[in-house]
Formats: sequence, C-alpha cells, structure tokens
Amino acid sequence: MMNRFNHLPTLKIDTTKKLAFIYKGKKHYGVEGDTVASALFANKVRIFGRSLKYHRPRGLYSLDGECSNTCMEVDGIPNVRCENTLLKDGMVIKEQNVKGSAEKDYLGFLDKMDWMMPAGFYYNVMHKPAKVWPIAMKQIRKAAGLGKISPDYEMPGKFDEIFLNTDVCVIGGGPSGMTAALCAAQKGLRVILMESRPWLGGFFEYRSGEYKDGQNLHERAQDLAKEVAAQDNIRVFTHTSAVGTYNNNLVTGFQIGKKEDVFDERYLEIRAKSVVAAAGCIERPLIFDHNERPGVMQIGCALRMAKTYGQLPGKKAVFSIGHDLGLEAALELHDLGLTIACITDIREDGQDADLLRKIEDKKIPFLKGWVATKAHGAKIVKKISISSLDGQVSKTLDCDLIVASAGMTPVTGHITVAQGTLKYDNHTGFFLPDKMPEKMHAAGRILGLNDPLSIEASGKLAGLQAAFDCENCSIQEIGEAKKALESLPGPVRGSKLVTAPVKGRKSFICFDEDATIKNIKQAIEKGFDVPELIKRFTATGLGPGQGGIPGHNLPLYVAKYQALSDISIRPTNVRPPLVPTLISTYAGVNHKMFKITPMDEMQKKDGGVFRNIGVWQRARYFSNDFTCRKEIENVRNNVGMLDGSTLGKFRIHGPDALNALQRVFVSDMTKVKQGRVKYSAMCNDDGCVIDDGIVVKQGENDYYFTTSSGRAGQTVEWIRYHARYDGWDFALVNLTDSLGVINLSGPNARKVLEKIVDIDLSNEAFGFSEYKTFDIQDTVPVRAMRLGFVGELSYELHVPSSYMKSVWLMLREAGKEFNIQNFGVEAQNVLRMEKCHIILGQESEQRTNLLDVGLGFLWDRKKSDAKTVGAVALHQAEGDQTRLKLVGFKTQNNSRAPRDGALVVDDKVRGYICTARDSFSLNEAVGMALVEAELSKIGTRLEIYEDECGDDRIYGKVVAMPFYDPEGKRMKM
Amino acid sequence: MKEIQRISPVVFKSSPLKTEKRDNWDVVMEYKEEGDGPFLVDLSHRPRFDLQDSNLADKKSFELELPETPGNSVLENGILASRMNRTQVSLFDLDGQDDVSMPGESYYTDVTESTVCVALFGKEIFLICEKLTALDFTDPQRKAPFFFQGPFSHVPCQIVTLNKEGESSGIVLTCSRGYGRDMIDSILHAGEEFGLKPAGESRFTHWIKSL
Repeated sequence: MMNRFNHLPTLKIDTTKKLAFIYKGKKHYGVEGDTVASALFANKVRIFGRSLKYHRPRGLYSLDGECSNTCMEVDGIPNVRCENTLLKDGMVIKEQNVKGSAEKDYLGFLDKMDWMMPAGFYYNVMHKPAKVWPIAMKQIRKAAGLGKISPDYEMPGKFDEIFLNTDVCVIGGGPSGMTAALCAAQKGLRVILMESRPWLGGFFEYRSGEYKDGQNLHERAQDLAKEVAAQDNIRVFTHTSAVGTYNNNLVTGFQIGKKEDVFDERYLEIRAKSVVAAAGCIERPLIFDHNERPGVMQIGCALRMAKTYGQLPGKKAVFSIGHDLGLEAALELHDLGLTIACITDIREDGQDADLLRKIEDKKIPFLKGWVATKAHGAKIVKKISISSLDGQVSKTLDCDLIVASAGMTPVTGHITVAQGTLKYDNHTGFFLPDKMPEKMHAAGRILGLNDPLSIEASGKLAGLQAAFDCENCSIQEIGEAKKALESLPGPVRGSKLVTAPVKGRKSFICFDEDATIKNIKQAIEKGFDVPELIKRFTATGLGPGQGGIPGHNLPLYVAKYQALSDISIRPTNVRPPLVPTLISTYAGVNHKMFKITPMDEMQKKDGGVFRNIGVWQRARYFSNDFTCRKEIENVRNNVGMLDGSTLGKFRIHGPDALNALQRVFVSDMTKVKQGRVKYSAMCNDDGCVIDDGIVVKQGENDYYFTTSSGRAGQTVEWIRYHARYDGWDFALVNLTDSLGVINLSGPNARKVLEKIVDIDLSNEAFGFSEYKTFDIQDTVPVRAMRLGFVGELSYELHVPSSYMKSVWLMLREAGKEFNIQNFGVEAQNVLRMEKCHIILGQESEQRTNLLDVGLGFLWDRKKSDAKTVGAVALHQAEGDQTRLKLVGFKTQNNSRAPRDGALVVDDKVRGYICTARDSFSLNEAVGMALVEAELSKIGTRLEIYEDECGDDRIYGKVVAMPFYDPEGKRMKM
Repeated sequence: MKEIQRISPVVFKSSPLKTEKRDNWDVVMEYKEEGDGPFLVDLSHRPRFDLQDSNLADKKSFELELPETPGNSVLENGILASRMNRTQVSLFDLDGQDDVSMPGESYYTDVTESTVCVALFGKEIFLICEKLTALDFTDPQRKAPFFFQGPFSHVPCQIVTLNKEGESSGIVLTCSRGYGRDMIDSILHAGEEFGLKPAGESRFTHWIKSL
C-alpha cells in the first residue's frame, strides 16, 4: 500500500487504523475512512473493471459514483459503487464484466469491433434474414448488463426506513445548503439537511483557497458544520442521497449506515413544507479521444484523492481544464508533490489573476486556449496529445495522469423531477433553473455562482424563502437578502467547449453505455434530432450513473452539431432514483402485518396449517392431508369446531339504521324480526353481488349484521357512501375484531353446547334461523345463531374476543366424550360446497349478479328500485339469457374433481369451474360452475379443460343442487 | 369447568414480575428488566367506548366537555376523549382506578374488545414512530393531546399524542385487535435500537399522572 499523507486537516482517513480486505483472492489493506475505490487505488489498482459494450479498461473518474467505471462486486453484491462505498474490514472485492481479469480481459478485442456496432445497431443489423435475429438476440442479451446475480440470491444486510416531517428540507450539505438550513432553523423551523457525502462541507470542504479575512474554505466549512450541529432543530443526514422530489414537497432518499448504525441502508421519505435545492455542481466531462482511459480523472477526483484520502492521484500530470478549480487543484497538488507537466485551459481568458500569478511563480507550463485531444496508453494513461482549440497546433507529453474537465454542470435533477424547468444560460454555459417548482428554492452553485460569499448569500436567501413558505419570514427580510446577494459577485462566465477538435470515434460522451460522439452523430444523421430520441437510440445516459456523465454534454453537443442558432434544446429527463441504490433499501423493513384471531396460538398447537387469506392468517387444514377427509367426516358424523372469527361483524344504530339497511341489502329488511336471523345479500349498482351475511335486530333502531371476511374492511364506507345524499341519522360500528366466532357443527353439536349453557337448546326452543343471547357462567355474553352453512346442525357463537379462549376450552372439554375435533377453512369449504352454499368471490366474480348465482329469492322486488342498490340493474338482467348461470355438476366416469378455475369448453370457452372437490360425503366428485345459460340445464354434459391437460378432458354432468341433504333436514334437526 | 379468563391480544416475551386480576384480565403491573425507557405498555384491558350521535354538541360524556374539532383530544379525570369526525368521539379510560362502565345511552358502543391498545412513552418514542409512520407527532402547531387516524406500520390506527416534550413524550395507540401480534412485533423491532422494552401498567400509571 502506498504511503498516505497524514498531515492535511482535510483528511477523512485515519492512517493508524488499518482495514483488511480481499481483492482477487489476496489480502490487501486500506485505512479507516477509505472508500473501496480509494483503498484499491492505494493498493495500486488502476483498472477497476471493463466497460459494458467494448470491454474497455475503466478506472477512477469522478469519485462521486457518477458513472459505472468503478462498479464492482463487493461481498457478493454486484454493481456496488466503489467510489461511494466505505471500506469495511473483511470485505471481498471482485472485478465484474470481465472475461479473465480487468487487467487482461479476453473480450477486450471488442473495442476494435466498434465499427460493427454503430448507434442503435441492434435495431438495424441481424434482423435479416429473420431467423438470425433470435440467435443474435440471445447473444446480445448475454453480453448486456453489468454484474451477475442469481435469481434466488438473498440480499444480505439490514435495511430500514424512516418517514419524516419537517418544515424545510435542504438537499445538499455544502456551504449554501448549510447556510439555508441555519437561516431557516434560526426562524424556529424544523429543518432536515441531506448530504450525499459522509460529511458536511461540499465544495468548501476539501479546498485551501481563501474564504474571507485569511480564513480558508475548509475552515469555513468546518465552522458552518459546527453551527449546524449546534442547532437542535436541524436534523442532519449525511451519506444520504436525495433520489426523488415529488408533488407537495415529498422528498425521498436513502442513507448509508455507519458502523454503529442498526442499518446498512435506509430509505427516507420526507414531507416538507418547503425544499431548498442546493446540490451544487458536478464537473462536465471533457470529451476527447480515450477520455475515459484509467488515469484520466476529473479535477475534484484528483484533488480529493489527495486532500480527503491522502494519496497523490499520479506522479506526473497534465491538466486540461475549463474552470478555475482546475488551476487551484493544480497548484495544491503541485505543492503536495505532483509533477505538473502542463496545464491547458480551454479558456482564452477570464482566469483568476491570483491563480495565474501563482502558476507563473511555480513555473508550471500553462497554455490558454488549448485542450487535450487524446489520451495514449493501451490500458492506462502513458501520454497525452494536446492541441490548440482550432486543432492547428498540437504536441504530445508524457504523463500518467490527465486531469480533465470542461467546466461545471449544476445538479438540477431534484428540480426537474419536481417539474421545474431549465433554460440555457449563455453567460455560464449552464442549464439554469428557469421555473422552480412551487415552494422549492435553489441555492449555491446550482445558480451558477462560484464566489464563496455569493454562495452563502444565496443559501441565506433560499433559507428565508423557505421560511416564508412556512409563514415565518417577512417579504422585507427576503428583499434585504436579495439585495445582499446582488451586491456580491454573480455567476462566472463558463466554458462553452463540448469536445476537443477530434473525430470522436473513441471520444466517449457516456461511459456507462460506451456511447461515443460518433454514435451521437450517427443518431442525428438518422433523423433523431432531439436529445430524448438520441438518448433512446444510443442508450446514452441510460446506465447506472443515471446520466451523470452525459448529463448536459448531450444537449450541448446536439445543439452544436446541428448548428442551432440558440440552444432551445433541453437536457433529457432524469427520473427517480436520481442516485442508484438497492431495491432492498426501497423494500425497507417489510414488517408482515396480518391479522390473527384470538384462537391463533391454540390452533397452531392443535396442528393447524395456516394460510394467509386476505388480511388474515387462518387455519386452513388440521393435518397434512389437504383433502381434509377426517375433518369433513367428523363434522358430518360427529361434531367439530371452526374458528370463524374473521367474519365481518357490525352494529348499526340510530333512527335511520333501517333505512340504511334497506338501501344496501336486497331483501326487505323491515321483515327482520327480533329473535330471528335474516340472511341477505348486497349488490353494487350493476346488480353484481358483492357481499352476503345475516342481520339480527337487537332493539329499536339497533341491528347487528355480518359480512364476508374479505369485505369487512370496506363495509362501513360502502354503507355511508350509498347513504351520502340522504342526511340519515345512523351510526356504524365495526365489531369484526371485537367478537370471535365459534362454529360448532355436526349432529352432536347440541349435546356439546348444552353442557356449558343454561338455556333450552331443543329444536323447539332454539330452532333453525333463530338468534339468542345468553351469558355463560353469568360472565361471558354470547350471541348465538342457528345456522347451517356446512349443512349440519350448527351453532354460531359470537363471543367477546378476550373470552374466546375460555369458551373454546369449555366446548372442547364438553366435547371430549364425543371426541370433538377442529376443522379448518378448507373442510368448511368442501362441506358448504356439498350443500351448494356459495362463497362470494369463489362462486362469483366481478360480473356475477345476484340472479346468476341463484340468490334471486333474496331480492324483494316490491321495494322501490331507487332505494335498493343494484335493483335497477337486476330488473334489467332478469330476462337476460346471455349471462352465466351457477350450476352444480358431478364428474362422469368416476373421474377426479377438476381444479378450481378450470374452463368449461366446447369449441370455445363456455364457463369455468368455481369450486369442485372429491366429496367423501357423496363418494363422488362434485362441484359448482358458472356456465352459459344454454349449458345450465340438468343433464347437460360439461367438457372441462385444465391448464396443460392437452387432449385429456374431464367430463361432468349438470345436476340438481344441493348435492347433500337436499331437503335441509340435517341443519334443521 | 375451566376458569374464565380474558386474554389480551398483546403478548410480550418479558416475564411478568407482578400481576393483578381485574375483571377476569390478568393485568401485568410490572415486568422483569423494564429498563429505563422508552416503554411499551399493554392497555388493551382498559375500557374503550365509541360514541356516535348526530348531535354531539349537546352531549357530555363522563362529565367531560367533548372536543369540538376533529383531531382534538381532551384528557380529564383519566378519561381521554378524541373527536374523530362530525358525529363520532372515541373514549378511553386511561385511569383504570375505578371500574368504569359504559353509559346506558344507545349511542355508546363498547369497543374494548375491538382493538389492541398500547401506550408508548419515553424520550425517543418519536424516533421509533417515524420508522413506522409518516404521521407528524412533533408538529409544533399541534398542542397535545391530539388525535390521529392514520397508518402506523401500514395498519389503520387511532393514535393520541399525550405529550411531546422530551422524557414525558408519549402516545396511546389502538388498532384492530387482530393486528396485535404483528403491531407489537413491529413496534418492538423499531424500538430495539432505542432500548424500547415492555413495561407493566404501573409504569404507565406513573407516567400519566405526571402529565
């Protein structure tokens, strides 16, 4: 490992703390504070991986993960952005997208085959003859994509999420962001400050230039960070990238956890009253031949390698820059020991005079109006060709480092994603914010500012504007802040150069997708004349860097190449996530939220096999025999208990309770009698049946009713919606979870129940369809109903949830002598199917109306149509012979039951199987199907097609319903 | 006959140190190793009522002036009343000292059994809450106690913020009883990094009296 500086105040590494990592199977060392990339660089790794298409060598470039150059496999996770990922002890790092090694990639020859792969080649070539394309497509798909992942790969790590509310959210923890945050916080507002690097400071943090009165920029950044830390009402999230900005100032982001954090990454969702966009600038890549060769890097990358990570980025450098930061960096790096062979500046003039004087003092060769044209070296930089801007004069210099940058580009993604617009500014050469989204304000370098005081003043103004949005600042204060900003230096003139004077065959505008200037020309020549189209055709900006490298270069080049008189062209749209992250981070914690019944634990102990059914977890089986034969036979011949607590249960009361019931139920609810249960159904406006249940009258204007488990969550809103214009006075209370339900069913049910209650349970005293309330042991209030869903003598006991376990145990104790058994949802499903009692959603779908499923008898046709939801549609559907009808069927030739959902066919689809099972009660396979009316006649043969059955069909015959106990004697016994 | 017992939807793994029998509930007064906070206390046994009437303006409940604005709550004499909407008020008995029974008027419904009810209090509880919900408990414009109806760990909840100042911060949360297991799991998981521990009712009583 190379020696590291340890004397610089800007360093973020601790050279005394070594961290071991494995790279290519060998142990290497970095230091605490290193990123994976800086640690590899310190270990003399220069080629990190190979490019997507041409397998060109790639190395450090931006140090902010703006491209895929340094994406590697870390601890088994592909595409980790090594420039942004802090090194951890024991990490295992591998190269990716290589055949062989990054150093020697056997697919490197593809770089010479670029002539075969022009822009959009996959749209043009290998399509004729047509049979070639499927073969070619497979090969292209094999080659496409970076990194490999197994389909059953399980993401390691801990992921979390937080949902924050704040007054002001500041994106960017540089000087303008910190100033804006401080300003808003000093107004008493809650502020969130997000910074993508692991520390605050931004553009000031790593620089030694003067801020004011002898204080340097780094010291100023430290002071601001201290001020921020001292404000209780500023919450700072470092190593946190904002990835999306949405309507109503919702900001999303993700944070990378520190060693002591309980998460590796966490997702942030921030609701703010106002947002300050202060994400600063990135550098606009300089385009020349082989401009992405390892050894070519941006100014910030080279400078921060030294100032932040304590290592020189090379030994001998040539700078080709278009911004004063390049001059500043050259001077600083020169002082740290880097040999500067030459500085070429795109600009003919406009440089900072003080910097020029220092360059002259240090005798660093400096050329104005010159630019890099070509990086030489097969794998890493060995030499550079430079030329005058007109290409007339050129020379070649030896070097191992090219620091290249065309200038700056504002990071405007947060503004445009929130539907703000940009406009080209001729002075700065930037696409600057034009129309800002409501309650979003820009600050700092994003506005083209470069002067430190101006940057902070713009932060102050944005902070006050945000405070104004929160009604905490006066117009006058904003006016003063504006005046203060106007009195300071404004935006600096920017360099306009996009490409060096080269042909562009190997001049890359997008590193991720290996798109060159030549590719852009090819696209334009094919008629793709705007960046959005060129982006799609050439894939420029579609890689993991999210368009960071091509960014604003693409529209600038498109305008230049087409010789547009004004740059009306806009940059391409960027979309969330603006910074790539893990899908696991978006998934977050993923707490499984299911409802369980009061009997959950006991049923698990009893061997219940649970399934998620809607929002509930229910015991579907009580053995591994999923036919449930024993459970079914026990109910038919003895007595069983089912936990039906998921049933929807409601109280409706008030003077207009009956009106509301009349509105939503199809039956005449005035006929609900005290002590009796009334079964009815609800339809939607199309007459399609949506729910069914029973209604009992508890008192004057006071009813209790049930719904299906699946609809319980919507019932209150459903009824309120359908009574919304009437001004009726009624109240609804959802008691679904309040009461558990025990379904005690089977011929011995009465004998079991009478052992624990004091009331007369004889058929005469408590008959079928009757309702009673009583207390068990003078303590547990029970609502009991005689129902027959499973076709046997049954008691449905509604018991306060907290008492459910006690009552269940009592029944089990009482049923011991009968060998009472549990039965689950599947057994109930078969039992009720044998009786042809329907379950909505199973014997119906969205289009099935009340009449289709044979429940027309529930509909009271004398009720006024206008007062019953669905009645008008039911009248219209009554004579319609084109509708599907519910029929019962038995299979022929002793064949098994078809699967639920199987199709009824002849030469076309004529219906489908709703439920069908091999019935142990009937010793044959039976089921219910929805079929076209002409197939519904008794005796009709049904041809049933199952998925992948080929020519094998199951045949059934339509029979009368119900199959079991057609006279209903057993449930009324 | 088996002993009749009421079972709470909340199950903590901690061992109870002191329990009290109350209306067939086994109320845990104290758990082993409750820690120094924040605390999660099961209040599912505390009576809770739904009051719905078209004319709430004329009504008092438990001698309490009902809050007029939806989202506002009142805590007096251990009764917490929260205005849900134009016609509905939710009432929690947080005192637990007397046997509070439901008033006889038909517009009341006992919903004690409908929901799981827990109190979450201590210094860092809002850092726990923000891991589970986007609701803004620390909104400076809202004065405690105030009431939310919204998602908490993706489940519709009623949540009353009783205090939002430092160590005394605390909320009372109810959601459908069936979600009890998963809601408790998600709260404890979210609170793990802050030292959240289950605590007995005594801890809650002490806290509520301090408000």
